[in-house]
Amino acid sequence: MFIPRARGLVAGAVIAGLAQGGTRAVAAPPSARTIVEAADRARNPQQSFRTTLTLVTYRGGQARDRVVLAVHAKIEDPLPVTPSSPPRQFKNLVRYVDPPRDAGKLVLLDATRMWFYDPASKTSVRISAQQRLVGQASDGDVLTVNLAHDYTPTVLGEETIKDADHQDRRTWHLNLVAATPEAVYAHLDYWVEQDTFRAIKAKFHSDSGRLLKIAYYRKFAEVLGATRPTETVIIDAVDASLVTTVDASDYRAQELPDAWFQRDYLPRFEEE
Amino acid sequence: MTLALMALALLTAADVAAAPGSEDGDLALIPELPNVPGPSPPPASPTSRFPQARLYLEDAFTLAARREPLVPLPPPLPYRWQNRLSIDAQVEGLPRPSLKLVLSDRFDVVAQEDVALWSHSTPRNELREAYAAWQPRPRLYFEAGRINVRNGVALGFNPIDVFRPRTLVGQASLDPSVLSRNRLGTLMVRGQAIGDRGAITLAWAPGLFQPSPLTRDAIGVDPRLDATNATNRLFASVSANLSDVSGQAVAYHEPGRSKAGLALTRPLGQSVIAYAEVALGHEASLLARALDFGQQTKTLPAGAAPPIPGDLSPAWRTDAAAGASWTVARTLTVNLEYHFHQGALTATDWDRWFDTGRAEPALGPQLWYVRAYAADQLEPASQHNAFVRLAWPDIGRDELELDCFAFVNLRDGSALTQVTAIYQVSDRWTFTLAASINAGSAQSERGSLPQVASVIGALVLYL
Repeated sequence: MFIPRARGLVAGAVIAGLAQGGTRAVAAPPSARTIVEAADRARNPQQSFRTTLTLVTYRGGQARDRVVLAVHAKIEDPLPVTPSSPPRQFKNLVRYVDPPRDAGKLVLLDATRMWFYDPASKTSVRISAQQRLVGQASDGDVLTVNLAHDYTPTVLGEETIKDADHQDRRTWHLNLVAATPEAVYAHLDYWVEQDTFRAIKAKFHSDSGRLLKIAYYRKFAEVLGATRPTETVIIDAVDASLVTTVDASDYRAQELPDAWFQRDYLPRFEEE
Repeated sequence: MTLALMALALLTAADVAAAPGSEDGDLALIPELPNVPGPSPPPASPTSRFPQARLYLEDAFTLAARREPLVPLPPPLPYRWQNRLSIDAQVEGLPRPSLKLVLSDRFDVVAQEDVALWSHSTPRNELREAYAAWQPRPRLYFEAGRINVRNGVALGFNPIDVFRPRTLVGQASLDPSVLSRNRLGTLMVRGQAIGDRGAITLAWAPGLFQPSPLTRDAIGVDPRLDATNATNRLFASVSANLSDVSGQAVAYHEPGRSKAGLALTRPLGQSVIAYAEVALGHEASLLARALDFGQQTKTLPAGAAPPIPGDLSPAWRTDAAAGASWTVARTLTVNLEYHFHQGALTATDWDRWFDTGRAEPALGPQLWYVRAYAADQLEPASQHNAFVRLAWPDIGRDELELDCFAFVNLRDGSALTQVTAIYQVSDRWTFTLAASINAGSAQSERGSLPQVASVIGALVLYL
């Protein structure tokens, strides 16, 4: 049985306050949106940056496939950040680094404009949001996204869950429902640690409610001014023997021109 | 009293603390993960990536079955077996920060039926691209050399891909997405400016050579510039995004032929991409252009009458390709397209083609020349066609991909169908097996082709 923290806090604080013969101001619990926005800030640098992602796919505990990507993420034009400012979203340009057969391929994702570029054929193909789910750790999983931009959150309650390292974490359990066409999944179950606003776990569901993936966030490290998860473990809910780890490294703040996120630029992409 | 209240507060606080979560079965799904080497260190600076090269070795062996066509095919007949060993290279160099040099080439050693083991046709070279690109300021480019310019959004037919004629080289697959990987560029000068919301492109490809005759295969190390640069061509393009819609407008001119075209794409929901291309131009029909080209290259006698009657005068003609891709079941992507090529052979033309071929076998070479010309131009020989393609990565196994496609003639129901299995042996080795069939009645477009079926096995090593 889970008791909302707010009610427990109020009860304890009032009683303690009465016991001390006085009154004390009670901190209001954060709203669901505040929690998700804070978790976004903890997961992603809120500036344009570059990172290297190493994706290793395991089947039955055996490493089967390894892909290295260079992800360039540009946050939307900076706006004055106020409590009423809408959440900003990222554009992503992903370059395949390894294995050699895929090296040089690019994926461009700017809201609903998503393109795949093959340097061998010099062909750009527009891909759908669902195609982002192709592959075990698909583009949708490796992209830099602010969930607060694409989902409407509600707090379901407070839970103590175990993280990927089997450590207890006091979390808010949120339900995120897709609110924009750019949302990759229909809804998410999302667990955010209460003290640190770190994302601990997420479950991703399709339109039909089918559980697609389970993700654990771990290996928190100081990156570009905050403590962020540098590894995501993604479990395929359909085939539980399939697990993918996504390790992030080599974070660099980097200004990225808007022109990079045009289809015509893909054949000319060079890391600056 | 105070102590009692404090105790009550403590008890309440203990009571309101979040109860431990249930033991999460999800955690049990995380295996003991072994240490895997991390990524290679990134380059010290961007320029240290240059020169960069993509190299691979490929051996492709083809077995094909022939049939006796209704209209006899002039020699040489298509081969029944061929082995092609290739080294493929794409190299980029940056001698100065604003200057890039690009080379894309494939060298083949070919053995095939009815050809001596070593002859002038054994070594073959396809120089796809060789050009210099100058960038005087960010996102402004000027280029000169042989450049592979490809336009369009559909898979099976691209009306606005105006530089596609005469660029086809030997392939390990008939899949149009594979064909576009290996085709010849065109000598040109090109300028492009890319902005935050779109791009503008201008290009001029000069006519420097007399056109070469049609050939079935590239022979020797001839760069075939006389195939790609036999006429002056001007090209202009503007691309932009408007909300979800991405668009490209093009204008094209060569002597005797002008076109304006448009390509659009937009998503429909989460799993569908709709796209369409259309080009309108003033040009002669396929029959007229084939006849004229044959006479120009002295393949057909000067002043020869067309082998079948038809409209030989230039007129306004439309080409279009419209379709959609749909991703289903998480991994399978289906493309379905309709193609319209107004200048191609009509139903009446095809009836006449077969009737004439049976009644006047001496006209067989000219009749087949029209179809060979269409193939060389990479344009459909029939007006109405459908194209369907299925791409299924990770079918059954993580390393196995299955692709299928079919071109269907909507007039006679004949079809070219191919099924391809691609197996990732390792990070560097790939094995591909493709089986294709030209199916249809003897008096149909595909059913009348002399090659009824083929199997191609290709082994690729990425260096």
